[in-house]
Amino acid sequence: MINNIFRFGLIFILLILFQVLLFNNINFSGYVNPYVYILFILLLPVELPAWLVLILSFITGLVVDFFSTSLGMHTASTVMVGFIRPYVLQVISPRDGYEPGSEPSMFTYGARWFFIYTTIMVLAHHLVLFYVEVFRLTDFFRTLFRVLLSSLFSIAFIMLIEHFRKRK
Amino acid sequence: MRNLLDFLLKYINLIVFIILEGIALALLGTANNYHNSRFINGVRGMTIGIEKQLMKIRTYFVLREINQTLASENISLRHHIELLEKQEDKLFFFVSDTSKQQWYQYTLAEVIDNSVSRQKNYFTLNKGLRDGLSTEMAVTSGDAVAGVVVGCTDNFSVAMSLLNLDFRLSARIKSSGYFGSLSWDGRNDTQAILTEIPQHITINQGDTVETTGYSAIFPEGIMIGTISDFERTGSDFYKITVSLMTDFRKLHYVNVIGNLKKAEQVGLEKQFE
Repeated sequence: MINNIFRFGLIFILLILFQVLLFNNINFSGYVNPYVYILFILLLPVELPAWLVLILSFITGLVVDFFSTSLGMHTASTVMVGFIRPYVLQVISPRDGYEPGSEPSMFTYGARWFFIYTTIMVLAHHLVLFYVEVFRLTDFFRTLFRVLLSSLFSIAFIMLIEHFRKRK
Repeated sequence: MRNLLDFLLKYINLIVFIILEGIALALLGTANNYHNSRFINGVRGMTIGIEKQLMKIRTYFVLREINQTLASENISLRHHIELLEKQEDKLFFFVSDTSKQQWYQYTLAEVIDNSVSRQKNYFTLNKGLRDGLSTEMAVTSGDAVAGVVVGCTDNFSVAMSLLNLDFRLSARIKSSGYFGSLSWDGRNDTQAILTEIPQHITINQGDTVETTGYSAIFPEGIMIGTISDFERTGSDFYKITVSLMTDFRKLHYVNVIGNLKKAEQVGLEKQFE
C-alpha cells in the first residue's frame, strides 16, 4: 500500500515534469500540443474508489494548470476523464475481468487493450480541453480537427512512454 | 436521516464529480481571463526558476538572430536620432518644459515562458512591479506589437500575447489612415485578422498595418505587420489578413512600454462616456 503510494507519487512527478518541461515546449505547426500527463489517471489501480480517482484527477489537472497559465482548463478536463474512467473500464473489460489489485497498464492487459483504453480516454480529455479553451462553437470543425490531431500525438507519446516503462 | 445517508453513499461519485467540476469551471470563469497577481505570485513562482534556466539554454541557440534584430534596430534608431537632432537644432526649449515631457517609458524584459500552440496564449516576463512594470502596458518585440501585460508580481509579469482570442487592438492602415479592429482568429501564429475597414477605400497586398494609439496602451505608429490577403465580405467591410511582423516562436527580448500620460488621457475620456 505504502509502496504503491510512493510509486504513484513518483509517476505523478515524472509525468508532470515531462509535460511541463518537454511537451508544453514542443510546438509542431502551432496546432499540436500533446498532453501525456493523463497517463497518471489512466494507470491508477482499477479497484481504487471512484471518488478518490476524481480527487486525484482534480489535483493532477490543477497542478498542470498552475504550470501552464491556464487555471481551470486542465482541471475541468481531467475531472471529466476521472468521472468516465470507471464506465470506460467497465465497457472494455477483458473477457476474464480485471485481476484484483491490478493496474490498467500495457504490461498487465496487453498493447491492443491499452491502445483502445488510451484512445477513448485521450479523446474525451482533449475534447473537453480544447472546447473549454475556445469556449465557443464557432469554428466547431477546426477545433475538432485540433482535437484529433493533438490526440494522435498524445496517444502516440503515451504508448511510447508506456512501452519504455514496461521494459523497465 | 438513514435514507439521506444511503442516498449520499449511492451517488457519492456523481456528487464529488459535480463539486469538483464546478470548482474547475468557477476557476476558469474567474481567473482565466485576467490572471490575478496572487495566482502568479503563489504557485507560478515555483516554476519560474526552472523556466528561467530553460530559457537561458534556448536563448543561446538563437543568439545570431537576436544580434541581427538588435543591429537592425540600432540602425533604425540612429536614423531617428539623426532626424530628431536636425529638428531640434532649430528649436530651443527648457528641459523642464511640460510640453516636451517624456511620454512613453521603455523597459527591456526577457521572455521566460511562451506558448503559441494554444488558443489563448500568454507569455511570462522576467520583470515586475519593482522594475516599474504594471498591468495594461504594451509589449513590443523589436519594433512590432507582441502583447499587453495583464498581471504583475514584484518580480514577474504575465502578458497576453497577440495570439490570444481575447486580444483586441485598434489598428490602422498606414497609407490611408483608416482604422479598424485587429484580432487573432486562432488559425495561424503568423497571421491576424483586421476588420471594420470600409470597402470603399483601396488597399493593396503589402500595405503596412500599425497601431493607432487610441487605447492609450500602445504608442501610435508601432508596426503590426503587412496585408497579405483581403476579401470583400457580405457586409460593408473588408476582412483583411495581416501577416504579423513579430515571430512569436522566437520571442526573447521584448520592450515593455508604459504610457506616462495614460491616467490623464483615460481620466479625460471617462468624463465624456
